[in-house]
Amino acid sequence: MTATLEKSPAPAPASAPARSHELRKRLVLAVGLVVSVLALITSVTIGTAGVGFGDVLRSIQVSILGGTISADFASSYAVITQLRLPRVLLAFTAGAALSVSGVLMQGLLRNPLVSPFTLGVSPAAAFGAALVITLAGTNQLPAWATIAGAMVMSLMVSALVLGIATARRMAIATLLLLGIAMTQIFEALTSALQFTANENTLQAIIRWTFGSVNDASWQDVLIVGAVTVLALPLTMWFSKDLNAIAFAGDDAARSFGVNVGPLRVGLIALSVTLAAIVVSFCGIIGFVGLVGPHIARLAIGADHRHLLPFAALSGGLLLLVADAVGRTVIAPAVVPVGIVVAFIGGPVFIYLILTRRNTLK
Amino acid sequence: MSLSVDRLSFSYGKRRILEDISFEVAPGAFCALLGPNGSGKSTLVKAIAGVHRAKAGRVAVEGRDTSSLGRRELATVVGYVPQAGDAPFDLTVREAVMLGRTPHFGIAPRQEDRATVEDAIVRMGLTDLAERSMSELSGGQAQRALIARALAQETRVLLLDEPTSALDLRYQIETLQLVRQITREEGISALIAIHDLNHAARYCDQVIVLHDGRITADGSPADALQAPTLRTVYEVDVEVGLSDGTVEVRPRVDEHGVTRTGSRLDEIDADGSVRDSTREPVDAR
Repeated sequence: MTATLEKSPAPAPASAPARSHELRKRLVLAVGLVVSVLALITSVTIGTAGVGFGDVLRSIQVSILGGTISADFASSYAVITQLRLPRVLLAFTAGAALSVSGVLMQGLLRNPLVSPFTLGVSPAAAFGAALVITLAGTNQLPAWATIAGAMVMSLMVSALVLGIATARRMAIATLLLLGIAMTQIFEALTSALQFTANENTLQAIIRWTFGSVNDASWQDVLIVGAVTVLALPLTMWFSKDLNAIAFAGDDAARSFGVNVGPLRVGLIALSVTLAAIVVSFCGIIGFVGLVGPHIARLAIGADHRHLLPFAALSGGLLLLVADAVGRTVIAPAVVPVGIVVAFIGGPVFIYLILTRRNTLK
Repeated sequence: MSLSVDRLSFSYGKRRILEDISFEVAPGAFCALLGPNGSGKSTLVKAIAGVHRAKAGRVAVEGRDTSSLGRRELATVVGYVPQAGDAPFDLTVREAVMLGRTPHFGIAPRQEDRATVEDAIVRMGLTDLAERSMSELSGGQAQRALIARALAQETRVLLLDEPTSALDLRYQIETLQLVRQITREEGISALIAIHDLNHAARYCDQVIVLHDGRITADGSPADALQAPTLRTVYEVDVEVGLSDGTVEVRPRVDEHGVTRTGSRLDEIDADGSVRDSTREPVDAR
């Protein structure tokens, strides 16, 4: 191959491969969206009370457009709209939020092994929420109180971890070890709270130690969903800057006009907020923020303009499927989704560590 | 003048890195920035590129003061090519070149951005590699992709920070030829931080020698690369000659294969001859 500088053929048209490339990515995104909707409806049908695909559609139709329900459909309707729908929607939106959070962290820190869980952010959020409940002595707190506890604690921990990492110009391996240490500390603290908790609060705290979407309510879905739906376009607005930082590094990104410092702080805060809000409703669900982005990268590539929306879908699907598995594997008992995801995510994490030569440098 | 730097100073905390730097690079000229490690080459390049903001002094591109430009505006007049390194994520050559359009588009690249990228890919001879992943490329190919990225940025000034240091001889020469050709054809001013004196002499129109954050020589390769200057700056005894009309710098070696370095250079006169020729050369063993 020679380095001849071919004289530019005056107006160079964007080549066909570049355009079909873009179309292909949009197609992948559209397919992901369709699969997600089908998976959501299907997972509502999974469970002990026999509910069919048509029942789900009819319930959605009735609840949106109104209409009358026959007496024999009433119990199915209640199961679908009061139990199953909030549950699967919470699983999906929580997975989407965690996955987007993971994409942001991985891109901004330029490393595919970081996620809210591996940096100790999620355990810190769980402790923050548990602390608020213990201090209040009741599990009947309004949602904003636990969210506030989770957010304050997780923002503090991420500022600490990333602050130390920046000040000492730490290698990524050290950053991950720091994250593991934080995880240990906050899990110990949360366990310690359990000894001081009363019967009401103990149940609520234990729920956080393994993430679950049991007892999902429409209010949970609304808050997690709204935050995710608001955050996603915001992150996509900055996707070209995210591309510059993730792929070209800080110096080159600055030379492309990206205001690296404030952007990184702002988007990390957004990423931590997403994770903290999910934790305050579902507890610690590890590895979704790690595995979701990787599935998305395999499917649609690393360009954040496509990666961010697709990671939301892949993370949502991952948690949706994990919850469906958890509900069926030893039915009628329900395995919390956090446990199922750990069985999937743990091995993927190990695989990533072993196969990616350069990630731990 | 396309690029003019006037009394630029820069420090990291209390450490002065650059002191009172002034020089100009003409449109279409390829200028080499030479100097030992730690002389401030890289910092100077980054200060002009807006990666670092200088504390004092003025940088102007085609007469416009860069401090009056916003970040993004600056990115449309000054381009920066770092040394090719590992990226944590895989992306294709085409996507990598598109990064150079970052200051030009809003959220999504437009048709003209795609066209510029294709143009840069063709001109850098990367057409067959456009769909390849960056991690599959050789060092020289990856460096070419980074130059294509800067070319797609369509700036009037091109700054290169030791792009050749990690490349083998063939790719070093290829890279330098490419940059020289671009500067000639586009009338761009290019400034390259580089270690190889002879490459600088052969491919560049202008040579600036930095020493301890100050300019000690600035001119054509023949003017700037003088033996006394290089001896002081690099602390190595050198011989400067002409070969095929190009300046050539060689370290001077005695019959034992030893080159005078550091303090032992005191023995050399201003004209380069050894003061005490009867003295035994230092034993290499």
